[in-house]
Amino acid sequence: MKLSDEQLRAALQKTQADRESGTVPAFGTTWASAENRVRARRRRRGMVAGSAAVLALAFIVFRPAGDELHYINTSELLETTSWAAPSDSLMPEHQYDIYGEIPVLIESTETYGGALL
Amino acid sequence: MRDSDVLDKNPHISRSALEAIHGQLFGWALSRCDYDKAAAEDLMQQAYIELLTGKARFEKRSSLKTFVFSVVQNLARSRYRRIASRLRLVQAAGAEVAGEAAHPVEPDENSMLWEAVQELPQRQRDIVELVFCRDMTIEAASSVMGVTTGTGRVHYERAKKALRNKLSKWGTT
Repeated sequence: MKLSDEQLRAALQKTQADRESGTVPAFGTTWASAENRVRARRRRRGMVAGSAAVLALAFIVFRPAGDELHYINTSELLETTSWAAPSDSLMPEHQYDIYGEIPVLIESTETYGGALL
Repeated sequence: MRDSDVLDKNPHISRSALEAIHGQLFGWALSRCDYDKAAAEDLMQQAYIELLTGKARFEKRSSLKTFVFSVVQNLARSRYRRIASRLRLVQAAGAEVAGEAAHPVEPDENSMLWEAVQELPQRQRDIVELVFCRDMTIEAASSVMGVTTGTGRVHYERAKKALRNKLSKWGTT
């Protein structure tokens, strides 16, 4: 004798029901736990975002002045009339006398010391 | 569907509709976690979180039941498979020490049908459970399993044949 689909269905349903009997948690409990986890996750994300914003603000406000990049030393410039270009890879090695040479450099359209003006 | 029931980020799903299939869904989650109740509860909560946050969005392309079962199936696949296999190893090791059989839930050793189902390959076991125990059509079950209806049908026929063979061998038919 062979089991029909319906007999198989009934037998399997009974076996499965026996396995699961008494194990199903209340919907309300599971749902409430899920909602709590969503809320906790949002809170956590908000705290992380808030902390990151506070840290970024603190960094901007309390950033040590020494960390700033200075291409021109103002005091050095005031004490002397000569100035060297900060990058020797971009500029020729030559010290300019800002009073003596720069007016000539600005007005000139020719090369000066091998450099294109 | 009461308006107050509707989920904010999933307007086609209501709490009451989910409550109606909660029991069956938990059974499905339980079988995804090797009948470990704590893992199944966690999996259910994860599934509800996906629905609450709108990460899994129901667009009425299938029935709600098929959709939610798919969410559980996908979550179980991605997150709980490794945990479940680790859990099995831990339980097996623990049982060896204690000299007991390793089973997450007290099994009914005399249930030949249960044993026959457990001996089926995973996909055959899944389709048998979905069609026979969760009252799904082969099309819906295939959709939950992520296979085509044709493939689902093949698994279904093979599973029935294997079950009948085993049961007749054991003289229960």
